[in-house]
Amino acid sequence: MRGRDLQPPSLSLDVDAVVVGTGAGGSVALRELARAGLDAVAFEEGAHLTWRDFDQREDHMLGQLYQDAGARATEDMAIRVLQGRGVGGSTVHNTNLCKRPADAILELWAREYGVEGAGPGALRPSFEAIERDLSVSEIDPSMRNANNDLLRAGCDALGWRGGPLKHNRVGCAESGFCELGCSYDAKQNALKVVLPQAVEAGARVYADVQVVSIVHDGHRAGGIRGVILGEDGAPRGNVEVRARVVVLAASAVGSAALARRSGLPDPHSRLGRGLRMHPGAIVAARFEREIAGWRGIPQSYECTELLSHEPGSAKRVWIVPAFAHPIGAAATIPGFGAAHMAAMRSYKNLAVLTAMVHDETSGEIALGPDDRPVIRYAMLESDRRQLALGLVACARLLFAAGAQHVTIPAVPPIHLSSAGELDALDLSVLRPHSVPLTAVHPMGTMAMGEDPRISVVRSTGEHHQLRGLFVADGSLFPTSLGGPPQIGIYGFALHLSPRMVDRARGG
Amino acid sequence: MRSARQGGKGGLLSASRRRLLEGSLAVVLLVGGAVAAGLRTRDYSVPAGRKLEVLAPWQWVVLRDAAARIAAPDEIGSALMPSAGDLDVAGFVDGWLGRMNGRVVRDFARFMAYLEHFAPLACGLLPRFTKLTVSEQDRVLASLEASHSDLLRAGFEGLKALVFMGYYRDPRTWSTLGYDGPFVGRPRGGWR
Repeated sequence: MRGRDLQPPSLSLDVDAVVVGTGAGGSVALRELARAGLDAVAFEEGAHLTWRDFDQREDHMLGQLYQDAGARATEDMAIRVLQGRGVGGSTVHNTNLCKRPADAILELWAREYGVEGAGPGALRPSFEAIERDLSVSEIDPSMRNANNDLLRAGCDALGWRGGPLKHNRVGCAESGFCELGCSYDAKQNALKVVLPQAVEAGARVYADVQVVSIVHDGHRAGGIRGVILGEDGAPRGNVEVRARVVVLAASAVGSAALARRSGLPDPHSRLGRGLRMHPGAIVAARFEREIAGWRGIPQSYECTELLSHEPGSAKRVWIVPAFAHPIGAAATIPGFGAAHMAAMRSYKNLAVLTAMVHDETSGEIALGPDDRPVIRYAMLESDRRQLALGLVACARLLFAAGAQHVTIPAVPPIHLSSAGELDALDLSVLRPHSVPLTAVHPMGTMAMGEDPRISVVRSTGEHHQLRGLFVADGSLFPTSLGGPPQIGIYGFALHLSPRMVDRARGG
Repeated sequence: MRSARQGGKGGLLSASRRRLLEGSLAVVLLVGGAVAAGLRTRDYSVPAGRKLEVLAPWQWVVLRDAAARIAAPDEIGSALMPSAGDLDVAGFVDGWLGRMNGRVVRDFARFMAYLEHFAPLACGLLPRFTKLTVSEQDRVLASLEASHSDLLRAGFEGLKALVFMGYYRDPRTWSTLGYDGPFVGRPRGGWR
């Protein structure tokens, strides 16, 4: 149901459970609550769009599918933070990469963060179930586009570890417009699969409703208050929902901001802290032949030579291709004016890789004077160094694959004609604000664990101090995952849902 | 039941630096604004019939001139590519900003003010940006792109991203890139 269509524009409900957000975690929580026979409703701030609405135009879809039209950034504007908005959340615009959280990460959480009952063995059934639901499969090599094949070639030439990725597509047309929504309805995601299952089980979903506060008395959650948004984004009515269970699944940024705005108990000042984001930067290379990197599946191969999930490892960089359509490419290519236009004419000959850091930096979500989230993240030197090593590695891979020329879009840009020049590179110049950074995986701001001094919710996902309030998104993760989070988020939501159901039944 | 706002506590050094810089910028703008208001805020006109969504006329003029330089063509491009004016990049950005939250619009407006009145001074140029020659305008933009100030560089990158969104959204800019554009809605005969 589209909030903008509600007449009159107001809603007052008494339900068993209310879910805030309809992405990976929210959709699963809603489905499981509904399947348990409970009266469950979900609210989504963004619009309800379907594959028919996705026109593959960057200028159209950025505004519709991304928070702040893709302009969301850290407070110091060093890192662009891309997050989804709309029914289905980030699963609508993501590149469909499916990786389970590494066993080493889950074991770390158990050992050092007091997370109980969420080790590899305990989570395996949930991950398997989600992978079945989403039709996860390995991307066939025949579907690998030229940009990805160059990464493979670079890994092979250097003898570096790499391999094919898994995805949740069925009937993929290999158009290359995944990040603007799939016009072919091929993504097996929250929008296509999980939410329809929830609705079939009796759940209700309202789009265009912004939840503005969680109602509570300091000990127990009681529901939510929100506003119905019109087509122009202006409030047109109020929403009040009374519920025994409230599930926060509005992302590590949205959930933490809502929790802060609502004055949730926070005796150990953990709320909103512990933000990790996998900040990444790109390296571009020009090849003699046409690459046409915008065509085909954007990411189907990975390089893990510099990535280990073992605690304390000096290898914390994940490398995958990252080609952009013209608007995105133009914004990233250094310079402007005549020189920039000349560089853009090499667009079809470019290949682009991104190095993402499995970060140790701990950021924070605060609230601005306008009550909007403020993302604070000051990169640690250890992460900055990893970023620099990652960018150098990307350059080596591209030269090994046959690049004529490699550019690291720093300020000033670093132009390289051979891999030999990398040895003399001053890595200290590769840092936030001198290299454009993007983060697409915010997590960790309402971390789980049994010790309330270092966590916000228990291992069951329920808030330490507020009975009936659960978290079911990337906020849960006590550390960076070091990989795409969607399977982890779907899986944890499924794993934690029995406790939500039990609580909603009055247990 | 209650729902009260809980403000954030503390902050990281970079956030303090941003606030300090913002505060300094605000002071400079305030103090210099009195002089600027008298001497440097005249003679801005937008074309007849143009209705602005968010931008003030002077902001639109600054943006128009900045966009013309940011998306300026090279020799080949001048023969093949439309100009930023042809594509009404400034109008596009005005409409885009109309859909953004207040914080983004405010930051953009501040950057336009800095670009117009203070960035030239920082380059040793007295006239405001929109009164400079094109090569002088390029010099000012280049200085922002490479500024020692993280905030000014970020402001420039934001402006550049918006300008290129307005520019490369148009199918008339695609053929020289070799980009064949979206499949959905593709006209018979392809995009031109």
